Amino acid sequence: MLQIRNLHVSVAGKPILKGIDLDVGPGEVHAIMGPNGSGKSTLAQVLAGRSGYEVSQGSVRYLDRDLFLLPPEARARAGIFLAFQYPMEIPGVANAQFLRTALNSQHRARGEAEVDAFDFLEHVKGKLALLEMDDGFLYRSLNEGFSGGEKKRNEILQMLVLEPRLAILDETDSGLDIDALQVVARGVNAMRSPDRAIVLVTHYQRLLEHIVPDRVHVLAAGRIVRSGDRDLAMELEDKGYGWLNAGADFEEDRP
Amino acid sequence: MNASLYTDALSHIAAPPWLTEARHEALDRFLAAGLPDSRQEAWKYTSLDRLGQVTLRPPEAESSQAVCPDVTAYPGHVLLFQDGQLACHGTYLSNQFAGTLRHWGDTRSVHEHLGRIAGSSALADLNLALWQDGARVYVPAGERLGMPIFAVYGAATAEAMLHPRTLAVVESGAEAVLVEHYLGQTDQTYWQNAVSEIVLAEGARLTHIVVVEEGPAASHTSLTALRLGRNSEYRALHIGLGGLLTRRDLLAALDGADAGIRIDAFDLADGRRHTDLHLRVSHRAPRSQSRITYRGLADDRARAIFDGHVVVEHGAHQTDARQDCKGLLLSRQAEIDAMPRLEIYADDVKCSHGASVGQPDPDALFYLRSRGLDAAAARRLLLEGFANEALGLLDDAHLRDWLMPRLLAALSRRSGEEVRS
Repeated sequence: MLQIRNLHVSVAGKPILKGIDLDVGPGEVHAIMGPNGSGKSTLAQVLAGRSGYEVSQGSVRYLDRDLFLLPPEARARAGIFLAFQYPMEIPGVANAQFLRTALNSQHRARGEAEVDAFDFLEHVKGKLALLEMDDGFLYRSLNEGFSGGEKKRNEILQMLVLEPRLAILDETDSGLDIDALQVVARGVNAMRSPDRAIVLVTHYQRLLEHIVPDRVHVLAAGRIVRSGDRDLAMELEDKGYGWLNAGADFEEDRP
Repeated sequence: MNASLYTDALSHIAAPPWLTEARHEALDRFLAAGLPDSRQEAWKYTSLDRLGQVTLRPPEAESSQAVCPDVTAYPGHVLLFQDGQLACHGTYLSNQFAGTLRHWGDTRSVHEHLGRIAGSSALADLNLALWQDGARVYVPAGERLGMPIFAVYGAATAEAMLHPRTLAVVESGAEAVLVEHYLGQTDQTYWQNAVSEIVLAEGARLTHIVVVEEGPAASHTSLTALRLGRNSEYRALHIGLGGLLTRRDLLAALDGADAGIRIDAFDLADGRRHTDLHLRVSHRAPRSQSRITYRGLADDRARAIFDGHVVVEHGAHQTDARQDCKGLLLSRQAEIDAMPRLEIYADDVKCSHGASVGQPDPDALFYLRSRGLDAAAARRLLLEGFANEALGLLDDAHLRDWLMPRLLAALSRRSGEEVRS
């Protein structure tokens, strides 16, 4: 589904990713772990198409298309979803209005029927319940005044509504208490299916207690320095990132 | 200034006898003062020089060639004035509480209030001298009007000078919704100089919506002056969508204790338009409350000015006043000046104001695009959201259905997207 080859990315002339190779197939859940400043978020943002990231080398193919030829909305319409680490607040736009507009943009682009307001509510209500969110969320301005945990839940709600093929979750677990973490994990697990891939970007192992990954990769200083199964995450939890230090050049500053 | 233009205009007005003297005095005051100019602090940003350079006249009666707007489009009672006169036979009016100032002028409430709420200033004096007609709303004590009253002021004649006048008196415990719609029907130059006077008695409630959609070469100046009695509530929505030059003043005196005022305003300035909105809210009695929300959009080479001045006078203890104004710039040449001001002479008050002017947030646009909205739709949604923050008063579905298409059409022009029906 997703093939990343020798990806090099710079931000403001400073190299952040220095040769990433990664293959994610349908039905798989991958965790990308690493210390602060290792390039995890950069990788997530580049895949979603944020501007300001310069791809200097390498390629990314998604469903046999060159990802970098697609603007962000085309990637979304082709099934890529990024759950933001810091979701934006959009005053004056009701959550429900935004979600339905987004869903229908994707439906139109795929030649599918648009969803009217009634069917949309039906579609979204079960998903709200799964995330223990009350209906009031739909009528609040998008993320405005939401707590950190509410914003993260709202990202997961968007993912459930938009039903992407490839979901990338950028530090969705950060700042969540244990109850919220379980709710978010429940939402993500509900999305697991044989034709959908999930990439979890995280600093901590604790999310992986609730969402069991097929593969775990450790990113350090812009390169994947180790890959393994979920045991690798356990090992990291025990030993920290320090034991990977040998040979890797850690940089703590972030883009 | 060509004084004979104005004296001629006055000589052609069939004034009711009881008003003749007041009209002449008002004209004398105007001629002595002249049009406001930029040496006056309140007119620092807005020049009316162009009005002095053209010859504008009140249109001849019966000369109007305008096609009547579709009055059935308005969800309420309609008073339609065309080029200064009650127009279009079959005006959709079935309300005993609303009529024209010309026909209902000689009544106690008009004698008592006309000209006294607006006070004296050059443009208010000129309007008092030259007004031909306008809406007069009188809601007796305890009466609650379910349907909005629309006063539509259409302008269709080139080089016309129009002075529409509105007077609304809402007696104690009464409630009404009044909508003023200034509508340009010509691309030619003209000038509407409106004055609206509003009196709310004890416990009265008025929702007042003013929509300015003047023609592309038009000038629009207006003064809305109001007095709020004890425990009364005034809620206003001012929307500016058209006119080459618009300058609107709103003067509110919260005379009674526990009075409340909420003013929401949205201005969209594009092309070479110039919009200027001045609010002055005076808290004069204890425990009164004001809420002001301004949202201004400026594109192309347009300029939007907002001056929100809240005064808390001696003795107006426990005043609760908040102002929130934001501007959004859509081009490098556009300009927005947002100036909230507070002047406080009482103790024990709660007052705040905030102002910010910025550009559409690229991170917010990326966020929306990452969910599948194309760049134009993302921008449009951001602009709609921005405007929405000033549209909280549109809780009535019929009013919303009437106004939103006009607003969205104007916004779509700004987001580079055609209107989708």
